Amino acid sequence: MSDEESNDTTEPLAQDGADDPDVETDGGAVDPGDGVGGDDAGFAPEEPTAGEDFEPVQVFPDDETMDLRPGADDCYKCSTCDVNCPVAEVDDDFPGPKFQGPEQWRLKQSDEEYTVDESITSCSNCMRCDDACPSGVPLSQMHNEARGEYVDEEMSLLSAKYWRNRILANYRISASIASLAPGLANAAMNFGPARWVVEKTLGVTSEREFPAFAEQTFREWWTARGGAAASRENAREARERRGEPIDADKRVAYFHGCYANYNTPEVAKALVRVYEHFGYELVVPEQRCSGTPMFANGMLSDARRDAEVNVSSLADLVDRGYDAVCSCTSCSMAIRQEYPELFSFEGTGEVAGSTFEALEYLRIHEDLRGDLADASVEGFDDLAYHAPCHARNQGLSRQAVELFRELDGVTVEDVGDSCSGISGTYGWKEEKYGVSMEIGEEMFEHMESAAGETGLTECPTCSMQMEHGTGYEIRHPLEVVEEALVGDRAGA
Amino acid sequence: MAIESDVLVIGGGLAGLSAAIAAAREGAHVRLVSYKQSTLKQASGLVDVLGYVDGEPVADPFERMADLPDDHPYRIVGESGVREALALFDEVTDYRGGHTDRNALVPTHGGTVKPTARYPASAAPGLASDDRDALLVGFETLVDFDAPLAADHIEAAGVPFAADGATVRFPGDLRADAKVTRYAHLLDEDRAVETDGGRRLPAREALAERVRPHLDGHERVGFPAVLGDDDPAGVRAALSKGLGADVFEVPMGPPSLPGLRLADRLYEALDEAGASVETGVPVVDYEGEERVERVLVDRKGAEVPYAADQYVLATGGLVGKGVESDREGVREPVFDCRVPQPADRYDWFEDAVFGDHAFARFGVDPDGELRPTDERGDPEFENVRAAGSVLGGHDFPAEKSGAGVSLATGRAAGVLATEEL
Amino acid sequence: MASTPHVAVVGGGSTGAGIARDLAMRGLDVTLVEQGNLTHGTTGRMHGLLHSGGRYAVSDQASAEECIEENRVLRDVAAHCVEETGGLFVKRPEDSEEYFREKLRGCEACGIPAEVLSGREARQREPYLAADVEKAIAVPDGAVDPFRLVVANAASARQHGARIETHSKVTDLLVEGGEVVGVAVEHGAKSGERVHGVQSGREEIRADHVVNATGAWAGRVAEMAGLDVAVRPSKGVMTIMNVRQVDTVVNRCRPKGDADIVVPHETTAILGTTDEEVADPEDYPEEQWEVDLVIDELSELIPILAEARTIRSFWGVRPLYEPPDVGSEDPTDITRDYFLLDHDDRDGVPGLTSIVGGKFTTYRMMAEEIADHLCARFGVDADCRTADVPLPGSEDVDRLRDYMDEFGLRSPIGRRSVERLGSRADQVLRTDDPNPVLCDCEGVTRAEVRDAMDDVGTDLNAVRIRTRASMGNCQGGFCCHRLAAELHPDHGEATVRDSWDDLLQERWKGQRHALWGQQLSQAMLNYALHATTQNRDRDPAAGGPSPDYEAFDDGRRATGETRPDAAGDADGD
Repeated sequence: MSDEESNDTTEPLAQDGADDPDVETDGGAVDPGDGVGGDDAGFAPEEPTAGEDFEPVQVFPDDETMDLRPGADDCYKCSTCDVNCPVAEVDDDFPGPKFQGPEQWRLKQSDEEYTVDESITSCSNCMRCDDACPSGVPLSQMHNEARGEYVDEEMSLLSAKYWRNRILANYRISASIASLAPGLANAAMNFGPARWVVEKTLGVTSEREFPAFAEQTFREWWTARGGAAASRENAREARERRGEPIDADKRVAYFHGCYANYNTPEVAKALVRVYEHFGYELVVPEQRCSGTPMFANGMLSDARRDAEVNVSSLADLVDRGYDAVCSCTSCSMAIRQEYPELFSFEGTGEVAGSTFEALEYLRIHEDLRGDLADASVEGFDDLAYHAPCHARNQGLSRQAVELFRELDGVTVEDVGDSCSGISGTYGWKEEKYGVSMEIGEEMFEHMESAAGETGLTECPTCSMQMEHGTGYEIRHPLEVVEEALVGDRAGA
Repeated sequence: MAIESDVLVIGGGLAGLSAAIAAAREGAHVRLVSYKQSTLKQASGLVDVLGYVDGEPVADPFERMADLPDDHPYRIVGESGVREALALFDEVTDYRGGHTDRNALVPTHGGTVKPTARYPASAAPGLASDDRDALLVGFETLVDFDAPLAADHIEAAGVPFAADGATVRFPGDLRADAKVTRYAHLLDEDRAVETDGGRRLPAREALAERVRPHLDGHERVGFPAVLGDDDPAGVRAALSKGLGADVFEVPMGPPSLPGLRLADRLYEALDEAGASVETGVPVVDYEGEERVERVLVDRKGAEVPYAADQYVLATGGLVGKGVESDREGVREPVFDCRVPQPADRYDWFEDAVFGDHAFARFGVDPDGELRPTDERGDPEFENVRAAGSVLGGHDFPAEKSGAGVSLATGRAAGVLATEEL
Repeated sequence: MASTPHVAVVGGGSTGAGIARDLAMRGLDVTLVEQGNLTHGTTGRMHGLLHSGGRYAVSDQASAEECIEENRVLRDVAAHCVEETGGLFVKRPEDSEEYFREKLRGCEACGIPAEVLSGREARQREPYLAADVEKAIAVPDGAVDPFRLVVANAASARQHGARIETHSKVTDLLVEGGEVVGVAVEHGAKSGERVHGVQSGREEIRADHVVNATGAWAGRVAEMAGLDVAVRPSKGVMTIMNVRQVDTVVNRCRPKGDADIVVPHETTAILGTTDEEVADPEDYPEEQWEVDLVIDELSELIPILAEARTIRSFWGVRPLYEPPDVGSEDPTDITRDYFLLDHDDRDGVPGLTSIVGGKFTTYRMMAEEIADHLCARFGVDADCRTADVPLPGSEDVDRLRDYMDEFGLRSPIGRRSVERLGSRADQVLRTDDPNPVLCDCEGVTRAEVRDAMDDVGTDLNAVRIRTRASMGNCQGGFCCHRLAAELHPDHGEATVRDSWDDLLQERWKGQRHALWGQQLSQAMLNYALHATTQNRDRDPAAGGPSPDYEAFDDGRRATGETRPDAAGDADGD
């Protein structure tokens, strides 16, 4: 893959969403932000947005870096973050989130003599430190900013590592190309000798199998099915069946992310059917990558580019009363937490406050627990559930286990609160692979000792790691809900 | 719609856990929500009940409870409330000390001994009333425990045994700023690590080998409390075998592995009791007048309603942020319950570092059912009870009473809540 | 008189240490005595501003000119103590336009480089400045670490043969035949073996001349010889923020007033100040209104300060002096100039000179003047070299950049260490032993702490001012015990405990003024750690009755088991 593919102006599938005649987006035109120079109330002065002409290399012009030193005010040094850091536990070259966050920021001055410590690149952006901190220190934001600064100031743009990270971070672009010919891509990408070359030249580990691409992407299926018009019809029928007002305001925008679109459309389809079962009309707006892999690699300009599309596309819908739901916990995490921390496009805050994880949304608005308690499923093995780190941060780490407690026909066992270790692109890096597998060891052991031989998780990369470490097939909680509640699956 | 339960416990520390476990065991549908991880993970892992009254060490905490002031939380739940809470704690954990009413004196990383009522099995062989000579071992890179100094210090405290200290380099050539979890992980995994002379040995064996030259006939050996996270018993057994001596852990300051292990165990017990848990979500507001009808939980910017019949406020004290302050005064941020306080900020503290600080007692003022009260002494809400450090009226560091107050008031609040259902 | 004159300098602040260095470099025998640590007095209680002279450019142009001159000298000879932050005089809408212009003219008149910035340009430099700041004057203010500077002066004096005695209180001036011939000192040392330099006890130090450089205490010392020096001590509060909200010194551009300056100092920002005359330099009220005033007032310039965390406040006492015939009512009207009082000329008592008034930035100039004066008196022909010879640690500072990655320390810890140690970084940090960080907040490693201990022995507060260990946001909560442990085994356990307790108490003293919000949470956490886990408040080793060990649980079970099982059964964890 060559570098211009990272430049999205020539991107083959930039017309995402344009095939949804029923979503009247503004074509992605964005008011280029408010350019607030410094907000005195919060501690993070927001950056003016990059607008149309972002520069692919220069993440932060010198006078626009965020000063997160005041974030250190909340730290009282308890080190709870450090004991929750999966990397520090297996790699003492990594000094832990307290140092990487509040300590480094506090010790740092604004002059360029102060460089970010290289160890920041060993942070996997699992964000467990955010969940840990009893004091509300913006740890992952500090790490994201520092990593961006490191990549910007210290990392050679000529290095293979930089481009390797950039390619991994821009997974969606690779995926969009691969899915044009999924069969060929699946064969070629895991062709041994080619993988060896990729490891040696780019540092992408050859230990892992690239995920298989689906023959039909979710969006292709959605369009073929009739798009939003069909969904409105299905939802109306469901509302009628449920005895709800026919014109009830139940409208949801689905942010499916890359993985459910290109690799696991069955998860996305399950979401559609489950939501329609509860009487929700869905739209599938124009969208790009949520940015999760880009944050983790310090590629903030790439993240900004995609986030801007996502925010403007979702903001239009939120303005019209839609809520957004995600089936991937990293996508919902990015939109809810990282966007407001790092960007200030118009509508960022509104979109963040209207975005939910798919089951969480149904728990809030429907009697999901009751419905599942009255239901049963067949054909599911006992499931070993792993809560993704990013689910934990949204307060969702126990959701699946507790929802399925009373569901007949399946037993779900929590395999503990360890990190899977893959953290998106992290575990794909040749030099991080060992650390990634060592972090995952605890989860593998717990999965092996669980009753069933099938895994369950919301996160695509966690599922890769679960499968890689145990050989289990991995399912998504939405698939279980679909099986339990949407008996007739012929509607597809 | 709201997310519903019978009892909603706000706060995931020792008090919240006790309340939730107790209520769930009574058959209620219980949900525990906590903003962040419990400050239990910062605590030493010891369960203090009452170590000092009026500055005097207490050998039997139950004997002295009646001597506490009337507004002390122990006076509200009574000696029986404390005993029942400890019985529940003993049932769901494998802590030691339940065989007697007496406190134990445990050596800690501060180099002296402190009275506590329950201690993890890992600390049991280290008790100061045990007259066997002890070797304390520290690691060059673990700066929170200086074993030779602690040995001298503990002898100065008049213990009935001889103590010696040795500092060794932890095998595996860790970086100087390795986290405690790194040490624990190496011992848990017991993989081969680099040791003297370029040899490679399993971590436990390598550590025993480094300590052996200092053993000199000591019958027990104390290490900083980093001996494993997943398999502490296995780590201790291997070291005991390798050294031919009883091995124990010296409780440390934050971050604390015994605290982590205890938190893990209690969350398991909560799961076993069938309660639901949600962490990472703060309660930011409530609706209701005489009764709290529902609370609003902030989920990354979206406010989600949670409704329950009964509420337990176990948000912690100043450390856990269940009590907040600014230059103007002190508040309880969730329900805005009254917190008695001196009007003048300069009366919140004493001039001596360990003086009788007013701030140490900041917290809500409960009635006989643990319901926070207003200026008139009436309950702020019919269906809200408070437990743990959010309660005022006790100075837990001076009394060494923190864990006991949390367990006893937590359990009592949980049980009282279910009686209302 | 001996062939080499011997001068006793009383006072270990910037002036005394500067005088000791200057005289020692000119070949005189010097003994410096200080009642506490170096910088114990006013020097250790200042906001750390290296004046450009801008603050005096309207009211006191002579002082302003001295400041800019010395500012340039210190950037050169004390490079490792100075941070070239630059400074701003900012104007809010309600501040006088006329005064702003006057300030600018004053700077030009005094030779202070000054540049006018628009509000927007000022905010580009300092994003947290209030949105309604209209404009600013940029001047070459700097930040200086007074501790490091005085320690370096003392070290240089010692290298040139001076004797430096801290914790040595002057109890009397020795007067014989109407002439001052020396000082009587009481060397302080606590019980046991805590020795600072010299064994405890009284010593008479005879000298050819005594210099009274005791600042706010000058009146008391002079009184020991029956002389009257009317120092008018004036207190001022300094409030320390947890982080640097600004990287430039920010002054409010208005005529003298309270609460008008923020100085970025190391990891912190220091807000100042007030100006209240006090009767006793050692005993005066430290008041809540002063802390509230600086926060509230300065929040008008930098709004984020209103909600930001402060970690402590401290008070300093200015050793103001004015000739007896001036009689200012208001301490803010008293000149900031310094006076050399030769008591032979003034009072007919030879052998004693007092130096009073003045300010930190011009300490070296004052020292030079007094050294010139004494050399003339002794007929010693030697030039002052303090403006040309760098202080220890400031030699070849440009070369430091190359050391950065060599000590196995992470950036920015390595960077901080090198900044503190200056050219001594190499000798201190290059170690084969593990060199863990002991103070996380300030990034202070074991090697640096041990180096300070080699210099000062058991006084952890002296270690603190040399290293900044325990001066960060936890205020010693997580490192006091680590620092104390480094004293062992060179010093016995009882001594270590004493030093530890002293440090805990000292850290508490300043924090009391910041006890709300995050810092109150921190204080409660520290209290819980120290009292609950470490049992510092009831340590049986610290006197008092030992507990009756027999009466406590020894682990044997009621079932008659003889020993607790060490291991082998699950922990339940």
